[in-house]
Parts: sequence; C-alpha cells; structure tokens
Amino acid sequence: MAETVNPRRSWMIVPAHDPAAVMRYPEREPDVVVLDLEYSVPPRSKETARAGLGALINKIGDSQADAFVRVDRDTRWADVRAAMRRGIRGIVFPGPDAPEEVVELDRLIAAMEKERGVEPGRTELALMLESAKGFWNAASIAQASPRVTALGVGRIDLTMMLGPVPQDEFRLYRFLMTRTLVAARMLGKQPLGALWRPGSRGGVATKDATARAAREASLMGFTGCVCATPEQVAPVNEGFAST
Amino acid sequence: MKTQTLRSPSENASIAGEKPMPKYIRRSLFPLSIDDPELGGKAQASWADAIVLDFAKKPGCDWQEDLKARMPAAIHAAAKGGAEVFIRINRNAAAAELDAAVFSGISGVVLKGVTAPADIVATAGRLDALEAGRGIEPGSLEIDVEVDTAGAVWHSLEIARASRRFGFFLVNEPALCRSLGMQSAPALEFDPLEYIKSQLIAVATSVGGQAAGMSYPLGLRPEDAGGDAVKAAVRRARDTGFKGALCPGASWIAACNEGFRPTAEEADYYVKVIEVFAEGLKRGMASVPIDGKMIDVPVDVRAKLYLKWANRAQARDDEKARAHE
Repeated sequence: MAETVNPRRSWMIVPAHDPAAVMRYPEREPDVVVLDLEYSVPPRSKETARAGLGALINKIGDSQADAFVRVDRDTRWADVRAAMRRGIRGIVFPGPDAPEEVVELDRLIAAMEKERGVEPGRTELALMLESAKGFWNAASIAQASPRVTALGVGRIDLTMMLGPVPQDEFRLYRFLMTRTLVAARMLGKQPLGALWRPGSRGGVATKDATARAAREASLMGFTGCVCATPEQVAPVNEGFAST
Repeated sequence: MKTQTLRSPSENASIAGEKPMPKYIRRSLFPLSIDDPELGGKAQASWADAIVLDFAKKPGCDWQEDLKARMPAAIHAAAKGGAEVFIRINRNAAAAELDAAVFSGISGVVLKGVTAPADIVATAGRLDALEAGRGIEPGSLEIDVEVDTAGAVWHSLEIARASRRFGFFLVNEPALCRSLGMQSAPALEFDPLEYIKSQLIAVATSVGGQAAGMSYPLGLRPEDAGGDAVKAAVRRARDTGFKGALCPGASWIAACNEGFRPTAEEADYYVKVIEVFAEGLKRGMASVPIDGKMIDVPVDVRAKLYLKWANRAQARDDEKARAHE
C-alpha cells in the first residue's frame, strides 16, 4: 500500500534575488520555500541571487518551512555550489534528461556537503520532469540517487515541448501526471503535481482554480505541488490536506 | 504446372481469418474460496467462463499438506459448470503456494502483488517443475497477472514478455488505487486509471494476451451497481479493449458474458459487410458502400475478426451449456 512519503504540500517559488519578497513567506505558511535561481530571476540578477542564498537559507532554516533551492538546468553546477549551506534541505532540479545527470549532481552535492559542513546525505533532490526524454526516463532518473525524494511534472515546459493545444480537457496532461505518479509511487518518492486546467495554471490561476487543481491531484494520488505565486499556497495546502 | 503461392510466415500470420480474436473467451472471472462448502454449486450456478480459486492457510497445521489434500477436489468442483479454473497465488509466497495448489485440471494461476518481471520468471520456472512432476502437459499452465501495484504498471511490458505463459492482465482497481495513493472512491469526473488501463490493454495484446477490467466508476464501487449499470459499464469496458472482467459478485457474470462479445446485431452487420465486400471484389471494386458507410479491406478484416470473436463466444456458451446437462 502506498503511504504519504512526505507531507510537503506547497512548494512556494520565491525569486532568490529579491530578499524582501522571499522573507514575506511566513505570511503564506508554505511547507517548502523554494529559493529560485531559474525563471523568476532575470539573467542579470543571477549572481546577486546566488550571493544572497546563504543568508536566506539561514533565516528559513530557523522556521517551520523547509528551504530548497531551484537551480537552473543550464547553470546547475554553479547554482548548487552557491546553494549548499547549512540549513538547506534540498535542491529542485528542473528538467533532468538522464540518470547520469542526477548521479553527477549527487556527487557534486556530496562534495559540497563535505566542504561546507552539511550532514552527509542530508540534502535531498526533487526532480521536475520537463522534457520528453526525462519523462520517459522517469524511473531510472528517480533511482539514480538516494537523495531523490520527490518527482514532479514540470507542466509548462513538458507540455510546451510536446506541443498540444488544449482547449478544454487537457488529456495529454492527465497521461503525463498518471505516468509520473506510477513512477513516484513505485519508488516511494513524493509525487508532485496539480491538475491544472488550460488557462488556469501558475501565475494566472485563481484561488478556486488552484484549489480544484490541488484537490483533484490529491484524489489522483499526488501529495503536493509547486506554487508559482504566494496566493496559491493556501488553496494548495487546503487541496492537499486530505493526503 | 500448378502455380504455388509463396507466402512468408508473417504474411501467413497476417491473414485476417487466421488471427485469434480474442485468444481466450474469458468474459467473466469469478473468485470463489476452496473453503466454501457450496463451491461446486456456486461455480456451476454462476455460468462464469473462469473460476479463480482463493484459499486461506489454516493455522495450527501444515498448510501446504492441508492444501494439497483439498485442492484436487476443489478444482474438480469449480470446473463443474464448464468453467476454466485458475488458482490465485501471492507473489510473496509464490513458490510454496504453487507447490501446494497446482494440480491437473487448472488452466493456470493468477499471480497477485507482482512488481517486476522476475516474479513471472520465478513462477514460470516453478510451473515447469510442477508440470513435469504432476502429469500436467508441459508449458500448458498459464500465468495471469492481477495488476495491483505501481510496479506492475510501470514494468507491464517486461512482465508480459517475461514468459510465454503470460495470458492476461486483470486490473484490480481498488488495490491498484491504494498502491498509487489514489482515492479509491470514484470522486473524480474522469477515470484516474484511464491511461493505465489503455497501457495494459495495448501491452497484453502486443504479446498475444488480453486484459480484463471494468470501466469507471464501476470498477471502484461494485457494491452500488444495479443490473443496467453493470451492462452499461461492461459495454464501455469492451469498447475500451477489455475482453472480460474479474467479477466481485455473481450478479456481474451474466452481464459480462453477454457484454464482452459482439452483440447479435453487430454480428449480423459483420456478416452483411463480409458478403457485400466479397461481392464488390468480384466486380473489381476496392470499396463498396453499405448504409452510407465505406467498406474496404480494413473494415472487411475487422468484420471477419469480430465475427470470429462472436462465434467463439457462442461456442464457449454452448460448451458450458453441455457441462450443465
């Protein structure tokens, strides 16, 4: 029987280059604060964001929320080096294609744990499937490191790559979610995803649409999802409460 | 000199009329316990195509010896109504359970809790030995897989390919939902197992097997179903590609036997299609119209396959009727 591996319902994305925005997170009560080095950070602010990670992780580490850092796939090595500080709980790795990439990141994290005095093996990896290749390799990717504790569907990137033009029922997305769920449950990882409807994802989702997406995902077997905006945290926590 | 038409083996295999469609007629698979004192009567009265025998390990005695003593009679009783008989085996204790439960008279075993192809390989190896030791035709026993774990879904293709003995996937929806952390009450507007069912049907068929399952939401709440609901659900399941269902109660069996086959109206239509198309071919046409629809080679092939399916289902019903005489 499947068990809830991990009670982290809301993974709130906050732009790491904007400490003021980050530190408003307690108002929303997310289970996970994801300090973002990817989409929400303008290219010219990446270095600033990396440089400020240590202080932010320290502050979040003292709270109820877990601190994760979402790295940029293309600059993940530098991002991981910047992120590895005492207090960090894990890395969100978007868009892995192959197990070798996860193994490589695992080794880098292990080296950084040793160098920075972080408890060995403590740093987790949450993988977001964002490519067709990665999606198909889901199980082997998720098994590539014992650090992997969560497996999610990176809806926007993955569906952008696959190219559907959904108008009403987004059946392809249900397939993507189902297969990701099967892989995650088979391997004992936390399945991350919400059943976003066309036109109602991420930053443009209303509170009601978010709650519905989370509730339906919960019924499907998912236990948490990424929140693109702070406003999504409450409905996501509510929608996944039953898990 | 007589001209011979040379065909490759694959050409021969592709001749529509020679394709098995479906390979097995197992529309209704009905579980019964060998401990049920009315086993024979219930099996006969059920008219199920297949009986799946379950057993409990009796505490305080050598359960294997106890089972060995009782199983041959139970198999005989279960087969009274002309049903094929299967034994349901737990993957976790498969070797010991197979030793205690496999005897002449069964068609195969239903393995539950499968998570990887190695489970099938191990079971197939054990069946090889048991067939040799118990006077059962070598290679005749089938392995059917009750799909109730995430691993069975993920590895379905490797599982189906793991042994030539593979015959059926049987979808156990409530157990599978539990394995996936899904809500097992049908609360969603759509079938959360839709893609999994499609995958299992395609995979089973790809190796010459079949899949048994029910359509949403009946597969998740069988206790609420009335007669019409079962009939409608069976039709949807058949139209999805399932060839039968594991029946949680005897009330499903008639609907499954009737529903998991082409209807009489469909069979009549297929006969008409075949006749009209054959006539068209004689007149040098590649396609002919019937009731505003175009009939060409694929439609003709499908009509032949489905008619064969209807005939085989009827033959199975006749066979069971003779067993009841």
